[in-house]
Amino acid sequence: MSDWKIDEMCELIKQMRQLTEDLKEKSGNIQAVERNSDRILANIKMLELNTTDVLDIFGGRS
Amino acid sequence: MLNNPSSYWNPILETLPQEKLQVLQLKKFKRLVGWAYNNSPFYRRFYQEAGLEPGDIKTFEDIRKVPKIEKGMMREVQQREPFPYGDMMTAPLEQVTAFRQTSGTTGIPVYQACTWQDWEWWAESWCYILHAQGYRDTDRVFIPFGYNIFVAFWAGHYAAEKLGCEVVPGGVLDTQSRILKMQELKCNAFMATPTYVLGMADTAVNKLGIDPVKDLNIQKITCAGEPGASIPTTKKRMEDAWGAKVYDHIGITEVGSWSYECTEQPGGQHVNEAFFLVEIEDIETGEIITEPGKEGKMIITALDRMAKPCIRFDSKDVIRWADHQCDCGRTFRLIDGGVVGRADDITKVKGVLLAPTAIEEVVRSIPELGDEYEVVVSKKGDIDNILLKIEILPGKETEQESILFRLKDQLRVKTNLGYKIEVHPYGSLQRYEVKAKRFKDLRKKGG
Repeated sequence: MSDWKIDEMCELIKQMRQLTEDLKEKSGNIQAVERNSDRILANIKMLELNTTDVLDIFGGRS
Repeated sequence: MLNNPSSYWNPILETLPQEKLQVLQLKKFKRLVGWAYNNSPFYRRFYQEAGLEPGDIKTFEDIRKVPKIEKGMMREVQQREPFPYGDMMTAPLEQVTAFRQTSGTTGIPVYQACTWQDWEWWAESWCYILHAQGYRDTDRVFIPFGYNIFVAFWAGHYAAEKLGCEVVPGGVLDTQSRILKMQELKCNAFMATPTYVLGMADTAVNKLGIDPVKDLNIQKITCAGEPGASIPTTKKRMEDAWGAKVYDHIGITEVGSWSYECTEQPGGQHVNEAFFLVEIEDIETGEIITEPGKEGKMIITALDRMAKPCIRFDSKDVIRWADHQCDCGRTFRLIDGGVVGRADDITKVKGVLLAPTAIEEVVRSIPELGDEYEVVVSKKGDIDNILLKIEILPGKETEQESILFRLKDQLRVKTNLGYKIEVHPYGSLQRYEVKAKRFKDLRKKGG
């Protein structure tokens, strides 16, 4: 049934968070960059709730 | 059993075995309590007074050591800074992007602050609901809701967009305009309270000469705000009136949207156990109920709501675990029949416990009766009286004697009580657009 790759998804989500946080930090207070980064981070959090949070449990590695 | 991953919004969480769901819940609960303790003055004070530190929670059973919060506490904290939410907050006001409040029907409204992340979370919770009810990117969804300070269908709107649906906001249009717009745009789904679902059908037929079954294209309706869509006789009335599937969901402003019916319509609702922890507590003993079929009040935690955490909230909603699993394949447990009452609504009349939903079930089971009714409980001397006001459908007045006989008989069977019945002209009882207030207990102050 499952052909998703949760480990790889979680790694990509982690990289997205890091990239977005770096982007926000380098924004130099440009609101258009900072605020859009915040929105992206909120969406990344939803990805984490849906995948990353369960990674250690899903694989039986809790 | 569905086995196609696209049948679920998130098959990873929705098919996670129960024992693993419990591990996830404990992990999230510990994270949330730690967050609240470290960032909310209210929670730190509350837990310190109870002698609790986040590190004390090690096992699932330890969760029960955490003191419960009640609505009254949420009102009290609003007297503190930061205005207007109080010190239950964990996030600075600069991060708050939306205000919502409870309806205030039981007292001073509770104000809710959402950061953008919390609002995304609200919409995400609703994505689980709508996807399970068959909403997809081919749907055109009408939302006949006043878009105001109440959370109601706001998150449903955002979630439907997230699912790729085309959303038509019904906003300030009146009921007739809403129906005509739904007809013009061939909308195939909408969201409303059960009261309004029935009221719209009534308006369509009697004011516009439109038959919702033949002249509109509605295939599914999502209800909220009242228990009607989980009351079989009310659900049937709605489905018959619209020729559509009617699905229920339950949300609480202070908590979130925590349960939903799926397309299997299993006679209950799935609890989203990946996002919420639901405990059922015996009303008299306070013991946690784990077995199916036994009613108790719900203690609920929103595991991922961060700006104003809601940890072990005593909701007063009465629920019971179902004794069966759903054929949809979701491992999220079912509650049987939705919210079956409220701990503070179930009242003693003539020494008998009465739940207002039982009266609704009987009234809506008699096809010659209109959708509206009203119950007034009063006391004369030491004697309680129950008055039930009803309407008989046009053309059925000559059958009044037979209708009243069946009504009284069913009420006696279902509630063990006798009623005085008043028949009112059709259309004369109050119509509601959002939540109806049909049960009035004049024995209580302000009832």
